[in-house]
Amino acid sequence: CDNSDLNKINPNGVTFDTYFTNDAELVAGVNSAYALLQGFGLGAREWFFLHDLRGDEMATGGGQLETPRNQLLIGVNDPGNSVARDVFTGWFRVIHRANVVIESSNKTTASFSANIKNRVAGEAKFLRAMAYFELGTLWGGVPLYTEYVKSVEGSKGRATQQEVYKQVIDDLKAAESALPDTYPASEAGRATKAAAQVLLARTYLQQGDYASAKTELEKVVNSGRYKIVDNYLDLTNEEGEFNAESIFEFVFSPSNGAFNWSGPDGDGNSAQEETIRTQEYSPIGWRNLIPSNKILANYEKTSKGDAKNDPRFDMSFWKAGDKFNNGKDVMDDNAVQGNSSTVDGKTMKISWRKYSLLYKSNAGFATSGINMRVMRYADVLLMLAECENELGNSAKAISLMNQVRARASVAMPAYPTANYPCDSKAKVFEALQHERYVELAAEQVRNLDLIRWRKNKKQTAEPISYFTANKHELLPLPQTEIDNNPKIEQKDQNPGY
Amino acid sequence: QVRGVVKNENNEGLAGVSVVVKGSSTGTVTNNDGKYEIKASNGSTLVFSFLGYKNQEVKVGNQSEINLSLEVDENLMNEIVVVGYGTQKKTSLTGAVSSISSKELSVQPVISATQAMQGRVAGVSVVNSSSPGNEPTVRIRGVGSISLNPNPLYVIDGIPGGGLNTIDPADIESIEVLKDASAAAIYGSRAANGVVLITTKKGKSGKLSVTLDNYVGTQSVWKTLDLLNSAEYIKYGTALLTASGQAVPGRFTNLNTPIYEGATTTFAQTETDWQDVMFKNSPIYNSQLAISGGSDKSKFYLSLGNFKQEGILPYTEYARRSIRLNSDHNVAKFLTIGQTMMVSNDNRIGEGTAGGRSLVMNIMRMIPYWPVSDPTKLGGYSTTAQGLDATDPENPMRIVVQEQKDRINRSYKVLGSVFAEVKFTNWLKYKFTMGGDYASSIFSSFVPIYNDGNRSRPTAEVSQNRGQYFSSVFTNQLSFDKTFGKHLVSATAVAEKQDAQFKSITINGQRPDNNIKEVQGASNISGNTSLTENTLISYVGRLNYEYDSKYLLSATVRRDGSSKFAPERKWGTFPSVSVGWRLSEESFMKDLQAVSELKLRASVGSTGYNSIGDYDWQPLISANNTNYSFGNASQLASYFNSLGNTGLSWEETTMKNVGLDLSLFNNKITVSTEVYSRKTEGLLLRVPIPESLGYSNSPLANVGSMQNNGFELALGYRLDKKDLKSTFTGTFDLVRNKVLSLATANATINAGSNADFGGFDITRTEVGQPIQSFYGWQVAGIFQNEGEISAANGADGDAKTPYQNAGTKPGDIKFRDLNGDNKIDANDRTYLGSYLPKFSYGLNYAGTYKNFDFAVFFQGVYGNKVYNGTKVIGQGMLRLFNATTDVLNAWTPTNTNTDVPRAVSGDPNQNSRTSDRFLDNGSYLRLKNLTVGYTLPSNKLAKVTNNVLTKARLYVTSQNLLTFTNYSGYDPEIGSTGGNLLNGVDYGAYPQARTMTVGLNLGFN
Repeated sequence: CDNSDLNKINPNGVTFDTYFTNDAELVAGVNSAYALLQGFGLGAREWFFLHDLRGDEMATGGGQLETPRNQLLIGVNDPGNSVARDVFTGWFRVIHRANVVIESSNKTTASFSANIKNRVAGEAKFLRAMAYFELGTLWGGVPLYTEYVKSVEGSKGRATQQEVYKQVIDDLKAAESALPDTYPASEAGRATKAAAQVLLARTYLQQGDYASAKTELEKVVNSGRYKIVDNYLDLTNEEGEFNAESIFEFVFSPSNGAFNWSGPDGDGNSAQEETIRTQEYSPIGWRNLIPSNKILANYEKTSKGDAKNDPRFDMSFWKAGDKFNNGKDVMDDNAVQGNSSTVDGKTMKISWRKYSLLYKSNAGFATSGINMRVMRYADVLLMLAECENELGNSAKAISLMNQVRARASVAMPAYPTANYPCDSKAKVFEALQHERYVELAAEQVRNLDLIRWRKNKKQTAEPISYFTANKHELLPLPQTEIDNNPKIEQKDQNPGY
Repeated sequence: QVRGVVKNENNEGLAGVSVVVKGSSTGTVTNNDGKYEIKASNGSTLVFSFLGYKNQEVKVGNQSEINLSLEVDENLMNEIVVVGYGTQKKTSLTGAVSSISSKELSVQPVISATQAMQGRVAGVSVVNSSSPGNEPTVRIRGVGSISLNPNPLYVIDGIPGGGLNTIDPADIESIEVLKDASAAAIYGSRAANGVVLITTKKGKSGKLSVTLDNYVGTQSVWKTLDLLNSAEYIKYGTALLTASGQAVPGRFTNLNTPIYEGATTTFAQTETDWQDVMFKNSPIYNSQLAISGGSDKSKFYLSLGNFKQEGILPYTEYARRSIRLNSDHNVAKFLTIGQTMMVSNDNRIGEGTAGGRSLVMNIMRMIPYWPVSDPTKLGGYSTTAQGLDATDPENPMRIVVQEQKDRINRSYKVLGSVFAEVKFTNWLKYKFTMGGDYASSIFSSFVPIYNDGNRSRPTAEVSQNRGQYFSSVFTNQLSFDKTFGKHLVSATAVAEKQDAQFKSITINGQRPDNNIKEVQGASNISGNTSLTENTLISYVGRLNYEYDSKYLLSATVRRDGSSKFAPERKWGTFPSVSVGWRLSEESFMKDLQAVSELKLRASVGSTGYNSIGDYDWQPLISANNTNYSFGNASQLASYFNSLGNTGLSWEETTMKNVGLDLSLFNNKITVSTEVYSRKTEGLLLRVPIPESLGYSNSPLANVGSMQNNGFELALGYRLDKKDLKSTFTGTFDLVRNKVLSLATANATINAGSNADFGGFDITRTEVGQPIQSFYGWQVAGIFQNEGEISAANGADGDAKTPYQNAGTKPGDIKFRDLNGDNKIDANDRTYLGSYLPKFSYGLNYAGTYKNFDFAVFFQGVYGNKVYNGTKVIGQGMLRLFNATTDVLNAWTPTNTNTDVPRAVSGDPNQNSRTSDRFLDNGSYLRLKNLTVGYTLPSNKLAKVTNNVLTKARLYVTSQNLLTFTNYSGYDPEIGSTGGNLLNGVDYGAYPQARTMTVGLNLGFN
């Protein structure tokens, strides 16, 4: 017999040595890190859940809320929690794919054009930074990989949170200089210079470094590229994607209702580019989470002595009598499952409208292609306001907040108001907390806000009812990470778990 | 001159019978009609002999015609047994080999030989599960792999292959199971989980035999659960939601509304028993026509088969049509050629799942006040409105019609071989065999547009996956067989090459309507093709030595080279040696008349297992394998998803076996027993990698080891009393499995977490424990009052930290604090038992009384546990769905003497976590088969049918007529749905049916 028949090479793919050697392959590489943002473990499902469940914007929609989610909501999640693990895993896969791209961009054997190579490496660093920002903020110190792991023995132990943030800042500085200000429309969704700056600001803010954060945010403001758009609804609907207020989005696109349930990656090359967010929260849908009574009560209204009912209330929530499905149907509490809310002493079924597809659909089951606006200009202005206030420039802070309130479709009276007098640094901060709460409701920033305000001791009272100090500041490392990583032992688990 | 006819037991002429005048060299053989003529003098004795029949001696007197019938030789010890690359006399066997005859195989109305094997062979475990046509789980001598599927190697007429469903069991002459290493090592790197040799029927010289065998029957579910009716459901639902502070669904107080717009009945008038709706009596049908015969030059066997079985749940079915032609030709004195060929086609519709939920689960959860169908809905089926009903079960009828009916697996298989054997001398033969196995599979799927009021599919999805497998084997075999005085030496040398190739193509798309079920005019079409190939080159040697029929020695070695491994790792050598001592042949035993055979056997050897992917050691870029939209237009994306392993090699098993064969009282009683130890090293594990490495796939590595030690016993008893002839056989086996090492010393492999079943892992594999042992909490009791809860909370000195859960209330389960730290957490989990039986057994009685025949076959397992997921669905009370009547006995302040915790939606105390509460005893004893047959007397038959029919047998059979078990789910036979480590977890498995059939066997002249 001819023994050479025993040498077979897999014909279904290419090996690492021969790939990532030209521009197209390098771009495909960084695309795969973006693709994870859209995957089941991140944007399509678990990522928004994890943030929402940890904040104080949400309440359970009812018994249909699955156990691991409910555990997070009431703060009894353990290291086995699958939602948290999928997000943890999802971000580390982003890091791995970004590392592959960053390392490949340094291949000497390859023929890359300089601008593509720099831009792609910048995008990869941005994505790696985003992943480490999330991981460091939610879990604290995590293993720090700046090269992709070459063998199963290559795992690392926990770095400190400071080390993680330092890496984030290094990456973002590199990304900031490598990334372009804008892309052609066909490339919308890629990380821009401003996206790196906003993330850098968020990182500084988490560390209480208001001056550095201010510098980055001012760059965004001074670029003149972004503005507050008129219609508040355009921030969470399909038609308003990539508008002038948007800085970075997780992109989803309509693919005839096909949703990729295989988590956490959601890989595969069939068209399954949708998010299940609308199904999870919409009144005609699973309605797993509904707004908490607390956030419902936080909106300004005349009944509380405010000058005007905040129009953002109606634009953020569905309630009985609302028209939906392009105005063809009327919302009815009988068609809505689960728990009721209390607003102004009245019991009614209120559901999230942000990112809900119901505005143009009445499907009982739906997934959507609505992009998630993870960074937008209003947030930039409000973060800058926070910096200014912390740095002693309250007047500037107030005027920045008022830019957000002046949105045409919102047009709330400028601060100071009766209920938000803004007559001291603390009172300005109070207004700011309120403004962020209602303006950015259910946009996955509340959790980050609470974490940094808690960490930087800005809060007068702990907003999370179940909060236990020395425990709930951080999520527990997934048990699978501790079990399978020889460099991490049980004693390295976050306190309280 | 003497002449006559020699007939067989069926009164047919027997060709090739040797007729010899005793003590002379005069001899002849019978012709095709069984006729002979011989010169024999008055007073001499004629000896008639034929393989498989008892010799007969007849003294020649004055008669010129001697007619006789030869009796089948029931002497098991003269049996010829098929072994790897040859046959062996059973008396010479030194390895552990079990045989199943065609009789045992064809008695049951089952799809495949694997199903028919259940309970027949000590050491072989067969677990049926799922819908018709799903191959059962077959394990030989325990479980030998963790990550790989430890299936035995099937060798069909010398061709290694699979797809046993495609082979009509009626075409099988015998099945041999090679259990120990000395028998299996000759198949080297594929044999570590045992080898099953399947030999199909061959023609016999003599008169043409035409048989037609038919049976038709009906199957039904043998047990249903007590589910809530509408009134009970409303009572339960009210309690469940009220306890968690939720509103009672609007429908509960508003049932007097039409079930759909325009309907004349109301919900209040609707009482749907979903088990009754879904479980149905379903037909099973089989027909086989076989023609065989031939001369001493050419023999053939030709058969046509047609089988169809519908499942007991709608739109599950399996159907097979097959043709077989086997023939042998003595071309010249020194040359024999022959062939086998099977062409078959089978269709299967399996159980459809929606969101991974089984039909049984959907049946159990569906609401009793809901109508089966709803013509106002797109697609015709509706389900509850989430708002009004506060629940969202799937209508199981919708699932079978819209997610199952048009998802069909079709396969086409051609399996055949050609051989040529050259006899150089009486003791040296060369055989060349060429075999091919072609299998083509087509899975076509169409799932329509529908809207059931809750879920919907806006576009129809069509897809087709085709696979094409071809494998060729070329075998060169040299056999030497010679007796030197008392020394018998035989040797075999083989050089073999097998190439296998698999090509696949998948295509899918979306359609705007339900009119076309093919990928035509579709949008969003995507497709993939792939090609994988492997080659195995082997050199095999075997030496058998026998001295004076007393002392037996056998040694084999196989050297395999496989393309599946990295350079430097391709070749492996698998040796074995075995010895036997036939004590009964010793002079000191000759006086013991009672003992007709006593043999001691011992063997040791090593085998491998290589059933991994063709390229697993090579890591690849997943090029353009995912996408992301930029500006809402998709761009392709490539990533690097798994680490390779150039060190990858086969799993290697070392097995030691000691056996004893004993026959007493002229083979009336037979005993065969084996003790073995089987140790597998280099277990291929998907090494669980830290999440932080960022790879989606864990690489395979040879890191674990595991042992299976066992004991097997096979007993036979034959009782012939004039008209009543009886055979009793029994098998008994026990295996003990233990994991010896995993990737790291403390590594654990968990499996089974499923939000519908409590959300915790159900099995754990860890060093020192049997593979995939059940792992969870233990129930201590139920908290009867607040006092007990606060006492538990305060036991650790801090009343603020809960003992179990912040939401614990009276009526919740108190779990056992196993580590004594006064709180319940993950560290209080423990091993709860194993799915592996303590022992399993089969008991078979086969008898004939005059023209009646009977078979009674019991099969059972003892001491295994089943994780009863249907109990989690039935009384877990995670969310509002229909449930079993157990929930009516839920704890309330006035119903405290119960083991069902309080009803509260959302399960705040996690009462449904993995615990011994849901672990059932899985032992069962099953009357697997009961058959009564009647054969019409052949002489009368011949008269009545004008000599057309030679045989007519009518029989009735029941499969699974009785099942004795304490298992509280549908059926205790639970295989694995979802991986190797989830055996014995009942996620709502498709239950085994009770079958009643009537059959007719006809033989034609």
